[in-house]
Amino acid sequence: MGTAVMLKNTEKRGGMEHWRRQETAAAYMFSLPTIILLLVFSLGPAAYAFFLSGVSWNLLNHMHWVGLSNYGAILHMPLFWTSVKNSVIFAAVVMPVQTVIAMIIAVIMNQNLPARPIYRLIFFFPSISSSAVTSLMFMWIFNKLGLLNGFLTAVAGISGPNWIGNPRFALSAIMILNIWSTAGYFMVVFLAGLQAIPRALYEAAAIDGASALQRFWNVTVPLLRPSTFFIVVMGLIGTLQMFDQSFIISGGTGGPLNSTMTIALLIYQEIFSYGQVGYGAAATVFLFVLVLGLTILTNRWLGKPIEY
Amino acid sequence: MVGSNSTLSRVSRGLYLLILTAGALVMVIPFFWSLSTSLKPLSEALVFPPRWIPHPFLWKNYVLTWKTVPMGQWFVNSAIVAVVVVIGNVVLDSMAGYALARIRFRGRSLVFFGIISMLMIPFQSIMLPVYIILRALGLINSYAGMILPQLVSAMGVFLMRQAFLNVPHEVEESAIIDGASRWRIFAQISLPMVQPSLFTLALMMFMGAWNNFLLPLLVANNQNFWTLPLGVVMFQQQYYTNWPYLMAAAVMATIPIAVLFLVFQRWFIQGISTTGLK
Repeated sequence: MGTAVMLKNTEKRGGMEHWRRQETAAAYMFSLPTIILLLVFSLGPAAYAFFLSGVSWNLLNHMHWVGLSNYGAILHMPLFWTSVKNSVIFAAVVMPVQTVIAMIIAVIMNQNLPARPIYRLIFFFPSISSSAVTSLMFMWIFNKLGLLNGFLTAVAGISGPNWIGNPRFALSAIMILNIWSTAGYFMVVFLAGLQAIPRALYEAAAIDGASALQRFWNVTVPLLRPSTFFIVVMGLIGTLQMFDQSFIISGGTGGPLNSTMTIALLIYQEIFSYGQVGYGAAATVFLFVLVLGLTILTNRWLGKPIEY
Repeated sequence: MVGSNSTLSRVSRGLYLLILTAGALVMVIPFFWSLSTSLKPLSEALVFPPRWIPHPFLWKNYVLTWKTVPMGQWFVNSAIVAVVVVIGNVVLDSMAGYALARIRFRGRSLVFFGIISMLMIPFQSIMLPVYIILRALGLINSYAGMILPQLVSAMGVFLMRQAFLNVPHEVEESAIIDGASRWRIFAQISLPMVQPSLFTLALMMFMGAWNNFLLPLLVANNQNFWTLPLGVVMFQQQYYTNWPYLMAAAVMATIPIAVLFLVFQRWFIQGISTTGLK
């Protein structure tokens, strides 16, 4: 709105200043509830975690300051490193696989094919279901006598393992579940990105004699980079902090043999099983740093603006 | 690869449809398998190799599940939490989004970047301090404890700010000249113009609150406060071998969100396309 409007609205000298103050007051009235709630339940807790990582406290006794010794303690804890290893492996497998699947399905879906809305609906549906429900469904499918092993027996004659009871397969089972439940969601993000690519570029590439595969590789993939960047970052954050599926499928234990113990699940256990708030907070700070560091690396790699 | 029908050969079209169909089968089979299991007697559910069609169809599994566990109470709890969260976000996110988009005020960019930075803080990574804060506030085992941390969302503020940025300035100018208060301009002029975004926001918040597992897990130790996802998981830990009942509970917990999704699919997809977030 122009200055003329403000001047019309105010007659006296200094009215402009008065109007500005009124506007600022109104703006803070509008955003105050949001600011307070986000400070108390989001930014505040993030800062509070740093403080708590320096205390020894079991929620019942008196809190006392121990400096950095909680970090020393968790870094010497084998279970902590197991959880880091599981979370990192989980992210390193799930994030790329779900990104690639989502991109391929989105590119196919972007073709002029029949029944596209129905396919889109089906692919998207798992991502709106709750983690509780999908985890239970997959526990049943991964059962020793479940659907997956029935399929393996029928098709390949293999007698499948007890997926979630076997430390060699439990994390892989959760990976499959996670890819299944998020690929369709990221596909929709890619679809939105694909619509933004100018059609003329494909026509020009086709006239130059580029094959479909060349067009995919030289036009689609580079021009989808903003979507890819977003999906890689969201995928990293989501997979590194995975909690629900591990908790539900292992019954909160992270078993068998800690094979599904993730960093987030360890943090939960430090509060609710061991009463070690300081250890849990130190692991929380570690998780922040890990996620932030990988996000910055991703930004360097994929975050550049597109040059046509 | 937008290629027209003429350049897209029949072979590749067939191949694409084959890939999509195979993928779609992988996506729907778990749901149909749950539905199938939920209608079987326990003995038949455990037959190996698995059979698809229940014989007979045991619809009473649903009735028995409903009676065995307090599903009704969980439904009510989930509904209370989700409805209040939706109302809170619709009102508060749009107010904050409006201020950030439409009012020039001191500290605006600080508030904006503060809110944006919170987009990068997912709940799992702050569950420990949030739990301790909720405990200090006496909100463990209360609806407020499950509602307040979700009552506003940085993503919602962002979505609404974008929506208000797209409302033409001229629409508000005459009201400003007439000396209407900011509140009246917001409520009577601008808010009606962002209804589509408001609706998208409401759907996304409903889905998030309805499906939330971790927050109720932290807050609701008392089973009177369990929501559906938490209740269903706790049910599984008690009756872990009765898969027909468990699948019946899973199906029932999915129905409300599935209906909402099928009716308003376009709005869900629009929400993701504009924010990239769910």
